[in-house]
Parts: sequence; C-alpha cells; structure tokens
Amino acid sequence: MSDETAALSPRDKWFRASVAITAGIAIVAAAVGFIWLPPFQAGARFQGVWNAICQAAGLAQPAPTAAEVVTAGYKTTGVVFTPGMFQGAGAESVGRGATLALRCTMCHGARGMSQANSPNLAGQYAAVVYKELRDYKSGARTSAIMQPLVVGLSDQDMRDLAAYYDYLPRPPAYHPASAGPPPEIVVSGATMRNIPPCAACHGGLDNKTGSPWLDGQPAPYIKAQLEAFKNGTRRNDISEQMRNVARNMTPDEIDAAARYYSSQPP
Amino acid sequence: MLINKRLILAHFWLAFAGFGLALLLGEWQMFIRSPLHAWIGNPELYYRSVTAHGSAMAYVFPTLVAMGFGYAITEAALKRPMIGPRWAWLGFALVAIGTVVAMVPVALGHASVLYTFYPPMIGSPFYYIGVVIVVIGSWIWVALMSVNLYAWKRDNPGQPVPLAMFSNVAGSYLWAWTAVGAAIELIFLILPAALGFTTTIDAGLSRVFFSWTLHAIVYFWLFPTYIAYYTIVPRAIGGRLYSDAMGRLAFILFLIVSMPIGVHHLFMDPEVGSGFKFMHSVFTAFVALPTLLTVFTICASVEIAARLRGGKGALGWITALPWRNPIMLATAFSFIMLGFGGAGGLINMSYQLDSTIHNTQWITGHFHLIFGGAIVIMYFAIAYDLWPHLTGRALASFGLMRLQLATWFVGMMVLTFPWHWVGILGMPRRMAFYDYTDPALAAQAASVIASVIGGAILVISGALFIIVLIRGQLAPRVDAGPYRFSVAVHEPRRVPAALNGFPLWLALMIGLTVVNYGFPIANLAALSNTAVPIVPVGTGR
Amino acid sequence: MTGDPPPSSPHDPGAEHALRIERRWASVAVLIVIFLIVMAAVAGVHQATMPQLKLELVDPRTLHVSGEFIESNLGTAVEPDGSVTVRAIGQQYSFVPQCIVVPTDTVVHFRATSGDVVHGFLIDGTNLNTMLIPGFISTATARFSTPIESHMPCHEYCGVGHEGMWGKVKVIDKAAFEKLAADRRRLTCVD
Repeated sequence: MSDETAALSPRDKWFRASVAITAGIAIVAAAVGFIWLPPFQAGARFQGVWNAICQAAGLAQPAPTAAEVVTAGYKTTGVVFTPGMFQGAGAESVGRGATLALRCTMCHGARGMSQANSPNLAGQYAAVVYKELRDYKSGARTSAIMQPLVVGLSDQDMRDLAAYYDYLPRPPAYHPASAGPPPEIVVSGATMRNIPPCAACHGGLDNKTGSPWLDGQPAPYIKAQLEAFKNGTRRNDISEQMRNVARNMTPDEIDAAARYYSSQPP
Repeated sequence: MLINKRLILAHFWLAFAGFGLALLLGEWQMFIRSPLHAWIGNPELYYRSVTAHGSAMAYVFPTLVAMGFGYAITEAALKRPMIGPRWAWLGFALVAIGTVVAMVPVALGHASVLYTFYPPMIGSPFYYIGVVIVVIGSWIWVALMSVNLYAWKRDNPGQPVPLAMFSNVAGSYLWAWTAVGAAIELIFLILPAALGFTTTIDAGLSRVFFSWTLHAIVYFWLFPTYIAYYTIVPRAIGGRLYSDAMGRLAFILFLIVSMPIGVHHLFMDPEVGSGFKFMHSVFTAFVALPTLLTVFTICASVEIAARLRGGKGALGWITALPWRNPIMLATAFSFIMLGFGGAGGLINMSYQLDSTIHNTQWITGHFHLIFGGAIVIMYFAIAYDLWPHLTGRALASFGLMRLQLATWFVGMMVLTFPWHWVGILGMPRRMAFYDYTDPALAAQAASVIASVIGGAILVISGALFIIVLIRGQLAPRVDAGPYRFSVAVHEPRRVPAALNGFPLWLALMIGLTVVNYGFPIANLAALSNTAVPIVPVGTGR
Repeated sequence: MTGDPPPSSPHDPGAEHALRIERRWASVAVLIVIFLIVMAAVAGVHQATMPQLKLELVDPRTLHVSGEFIESNLGTAVEPDGSVTVRAIGQQYSFVPQCIVVPTDTVVHFRATSGDVVHGFLIDGTNLNTMLIPGFISTATARFSTPIESHMPCHEYCGVGHEGMWGKVKVIDKAAFEKLAADRRRLTCVD
C-alpha cells in the first residue's frame, strides 16, 4: 500500500481516531440540535420528537391555518408583476395599441406628449401603463375620466396600449443647469423619515419594475399624485410603497420634486 | 532556491497594487459617510465603491498573495524547480483578466450588488464572469501545488514533506473546495439569470451556497499567515519551531472544520432549519481549536528564541526578543489582533450572542480586525522576508518597516474598536449615509470619526508599505542566499502517513461538508416554488 | 533574517517532555471549545433566544393580492391567548407598517417576509434581529418590559435606496395598547 493511501485504511489508527472523533462530534451535535433543544424551544407547541426533527431539519411546513385575514375596505391593486412579462411585445401589438390610443390623444397628446397637464405616456415603461390601466378598470385607482374609458378594454388591449406607449420615443430629459442642482429630496431623500431618493426607483440612480419614468411629466400632475398618496386617496401602489414615501414628505419637498421632474425645454 | 522570481513578484505586485487602490476606496467610504463630510448626494457611488473594495480585497488580493507565496514555497521548500511555470503564468493571466472583466462593470455602476452578490438583485453578467475567471485562475494554482507535491513525493518516498509545503498544499485544497459553493451559486443560479436565460432565482438556496464559501474563505486568507507563523517567524527571530507535528495537525484541522460551519452566517435566515444551525455552531466552536494550538506552539517557539538570546524568568524572556526585527513586531501585532478578533468571533458563533450584533457594524469591525489586521499584517511580513530573495536586492529600510507595521496595527485598532462599538449600539452595516443629527444616532458620531482617523492611519501605512517595496526594487544588488524555512526543535525523520499526505483529510473534509450542507441544500433545491423574480440592478439610468 | 541555532538530537528526552506539554495544552484547548458549546446549548435551553422553528414558504409576487401579508392585514393583531402577532413586510425601500406598535409585558410574535430582495430586520437597542428573504417567512418571538421608541433600520444591502430604509417601533404601555385595540383589528403607529 502506498504512502498516500495508507491513511485511508480502516486499520490505520489515524483513520479510526479521526473518523470516530468527527462522527462523534457530528452525532452529539445533531442529537442536541435536533432532539434535545427543540422541546425547550417549542414549549407548549411541542408536537413530538419526529415532528421536531422534521422542523429542525428545515422541511417546509404549512402556514398556520386558523389565522383570520383582515381585508381592506377599499380596492387594492391586483396586478402581479412577473419578470419579462412585457418582453417581446411585437410590432403587431404596438400597431394594435396605436389604434386603441386614438381614444387617448385628447388628453395624452397625439404622440403621447400631453398638452393638458395629463401625464405624458411616450416612452413610459410598459409595466407602468399596463398596471395603471388595470387598476383603473378594477377600481383600485379612481378617476372620473379614466374609468369610463377603460371599462371596455380587454387585458390584451391594455397590453397593446402599454406596448405602444413604451415604443414611442421618450422626451429628452431636460433639467437646465441654471435651475441649480437637483433638489435633495430627489437625489438623497430624507433617510430618517424613510424617504429614499426618488431617483433610486424612478431613474437617475436605478429603476424598479412598476415605477414610472418621471422626467418631463407635468408638475401639477406629479404634485397631485404625491398629495393623493400622502392623504391616502390614492391607494393602488403595491403594499403602500409610494404611500410610505409621500406620507412623510413635506409640502415643500413635494413641490420641489414636482418642479424638478417637470422641468421642460423652453 | 527561487527560480521563477518574476512569476512570484508579478503575483505580489498585482496583489499589492489592487490592495492599495482598494484601501483608498475603503477610506473614502469611511470618510464620506462620516460626520466629517457633507452627504455626497449619490448613494450609488458609495455602493459601487463598496462592491469594488470588497471584491478586490476578498477575491483578488489574498488569492494572489496565496498563489505567489505558494509558488515561492514550492521552490524553496522542495529545493527544486517548480513544475509547470507556464501554467502558473496562465493562472496569473486569468486572475488579472478576471479582475479587469469584473471591475469594469463595477466601475461603471452596472454591478453595485456588493461582493456578496445578494440575489435576487442581479447586476451585469460581466461582474460575475470576471469573478469566475479569477477563481478558475486560482484553481490552476491548486492543481500545480498538488502536482508539485506528488512529483516530489514520488522522488522522495517515505520522506516527510516539509511543513511549509504541507501547509501550502493544505491551503490550496481548502480553497479548491471552499470556492465550490460560490462557484455553484454563480454558475448555476446567478449567471443564468444575469444572462437572461431565466427571470427567477432561488434566493434562499443562493445564500446557502454562498455561506459555504463565505466563512471558509477566511481560512484561505488565513493560511499564508499561519504558514508564516510556523515556517518563517521562528527562523527570522533566531529560534526554532517548537513542534512540527502540531503544525501539521493545525492545518489538517483547518481543512476539516473550515467548511461545514458557514451556516453561522445564516443564523438569522429563515431558510435553514434550527438543527443544522446548531450543528454548524458546534463546528464553528471547533475551528477555534487549530488557532489555540497555533498560539501555543508559536508562543513556545518564540520563547525558545528568547531563551537562546539569554532571556530569563517566567515572563522576563519577553524583553530578550528581537523587537527591532520587523517579523517579530508583525507577529506580536498579529497575535494581539488575532486575540481580540478571535474573542469577537466566539461571540458571532452562538446564535444567542450573534442576534445582538448580526449584520451591524460589529461584523464589519470583526472581519477587518481579523483579515485586515491579523492576517494582512503577516502578508506584509511575508513580503518583507521574501523581497530580497525575489529582487536580489537588499531591503534595508528597517526603521520604515517598523513604522509601517506599527501604523498598520494602531490604525487597525483605531478603525475597528469603534466599529465594534457602534455595532453594539445598533448601527446597520453598508449604509451610504447616516443622519447623525438624529438624536438616536448622534451618540455614534464620535466613534465613526475615530474610525475615519484609523482608516487614514491605515492609508499612510499602506503607502509606507509600497514605498518600502519600491525602495527594495531600487536598492543595490546583494546575494540573499538560499531561502530557508524554520527548523523544528525535533526535526521529523519520519512522520505517520496520515500527517504526510491528504487523502484521509480530504475525505473527511468532503464527508463532513456533505453531512452539514447536504440536506439543507437538497431540501431547498427540491422545493419547486422558492424561485423569486430577479431584481435587475443598474439598469435605470 | 538571522540563522538557526544548532539542532538538538532527535532522541533528546526533551522531545518526550515537549510532547507531554503539547498534549496538555491541546486538552485545555479542547476543554475551552467544549465549554463554549455547552454554553451555547444551555443558553438555548433557557430560551435566551432561539432560531425560528419552522420553514414556511410564501410567494413574494402575490403578497399584496392574497394571504396574510395583504396591506390591510399587516400590523399588530391581538390573539385569543393574549399574545400579539405582528405581520410586516420589507420592500424597496420601506417596511410595512412603517411604524410598528406593540404592548409591554406581552408575548409578541413577529411574522415577516420580503416582497422583492433580501432585507434585514433589526430593532435598535434589542436583540430582535432577523433576515427577510423573498420566498420565506421569518418568525421571531419577543417580550418587551419597558416602553421604548426605537429605530428599525434595514440592515442588509437592498439596493441604492437602502440607506433610506428606516422604520420605527413603539413599545407602549399595555393598558394604552388595549385601549387602542378596542376598536381596531390591526394596529400600527403610522400617522
């Protein structure tokens, strides 16, 4: 037997000692961790050794069944984002969307650029347009103007509209240097009030799926939405994401953010 | 007998260049989020910097040091030319290329996911590909260490493998197996998502794979330091190694118990069962064993040196040590930092104590003290010791070396002690900005300022280190003689087969990893509904 | 840097002596390690705090649509057995509820998860500390003896807005809590 493998023989004293010690430690540790500790930890909820071992091993357990769930007295969004859900929308979808969008031009402009303090939709992320349409239809977002318009739209119609607006060229961001640096609320937020930088989700620093592109949107629109999130009249953000932000913003910060994002070419 | 000097020097220079740049980034991070500097107004720059600092310091710098030192040991300890220098250059090139491939997207802000990856956040695929290339380059080194060891053993049957080579190869095997966890995470989970083949990722499973690497990688960083303790320090201070066998045992213990303990990084995670958390906790305690053995053996070896120099008394011998010798100084500093860092580590190893400080600045303080302090200060010592043999030129700036080591020690203490403290106060780690005007955070301001000062001292020390090495390259030529390692008090004539090779220990290492990680991994992998949507990073500008 | 002293004979009786001392030290080291492990186990027995018992799964995509993590069900609920359950989620870049309110001298069960990436959940000044991993439910149990108002920062890097992810926790007097709970089924301190 070669020098190399001699130690791998069960007759070798090093083999026997090291394997015995390692296995011994592992067995004792497992016995304590899986059998001895769980009853102390579970207390009254202890349901026997076998159950404890399965739990300690990390086998998936069903959620407790009896817990009642309090539902909201208002509509919340039912849109579920899945990654890539708008990838590969073809020219056909864009074309259908363009036809459907003829009904939207009055407020949102012929090429998605509004002249009426309604949001610009040109170049807006498909996920955003689709989600808002769905929320208008379900009533999670309310608007006397929008709700009658979306009532007849199918899911595919909404996807087509989203694809069309996503396809349109986005207006160039315009933040004149003469206006000074971007306001603190946009680039830094207010950390201890749980306000992250706007730019962390709305472009500039990063983008989060479902967060709209804000550059060039009309200031009155942005301001109205922030105020609606703040006072709870708009509640279609997923899990209060925007309400949490707007709630802690001061009126001045809302103005500053709206002004910054709306800066328009002269 | 060092033949491939340029190869070894290339590794060290690239390592130290990366280290210097990453050091500057680290101090910049400390400074801009301290009360001393106004908020920079761009958190992304901070996270970008943290990603670069972490990736360079964790993946590139220690890997290159281990590789370069490993090649030097191979030639100096086996006293013959290394087999496969061309392969070694290929490995070096891969590490260099991988570093560039990874760092370009990081610098551009396309991969600010931090060096710990954090899926389901997904950055540029090039960042992950770069890291994989670095690891592949280092695996060439692993293979070369093994090839050289076995060629030597074939030619010297029955001879004890020199301790330096034995421990060096142990370190390479440790790394080979350690890197597997992150490699699986990168290749099978993250890259398919980063390249667009899938849109979901199993975040829990990814974390379990990463924990496999994340803790044991610390012992890979530690190996050159421990090799220096055993095989350089006693010789450098004119003593002898107290015990050769104890050294082998310590390295073997690291090999076995480094891996199956990583779940202690996941104590607070929901995806691993409490039974496995306890098992990993137990083995984490056992990883203290090789360190305790080393502390004893090295202290005894140092005492031998002191007594040979005429040291007397129970503790009086300490004054007889060659304190003006940079290696002696580095070792003492390293031990002090290892002591404090190890004590902190004992707190991290138990679920109950960890719950107070998990993911706070305590953790940052802890691994900077252990890695940046105890480990890296010995990297300096290794460089100082090897440099004349690599360059053929004298390294004569002893005063500067002492100053460099002392400033590194002081800087690291001033950096990390306040860091630990603010962690206990509850300061979370890795935040781009803290509002010190908040009453609850105001008390942390003074500690944070102290840490910034500590960091500044470290930058000065790092600059001194580079100056010493450059001066060494420009000094007059000398013959440094053959490079030698410590001799044990009782040099082994024969050692048991078990202490002269690795099959048994590799079997135990893999076996224990399977026992401690097999079920948690299989359990999560078998769950079909745990893949969650990826969250792309750096796409929205 | 300096030379070696002359080697001693390999059959020196000192070798035996050295081995004995080494063994003794190794035994001390093993005892230290065992002491640490016993300490950890005893701490577990006395329930200082323990890892969560169960592994439960949840789909982060549909948290807001159905199940126990819909927004109207988040916050603090009073249980029939007198304890309270706090349900919360972490998302980029806030916790819901943004402000958690719990009573003193009451067993508090936390159930929390993440709607997107990995977040951390830490109540400053306490040892309540857990990770929120998308796909899994994190649980923890605590009992607060005194009224406090604490920050609850996210302590795991979760994206560029991470530094702005600070929630709040208010521990209020039990009687005051009961008054609040009289007419609301889910309590928060979000104003």
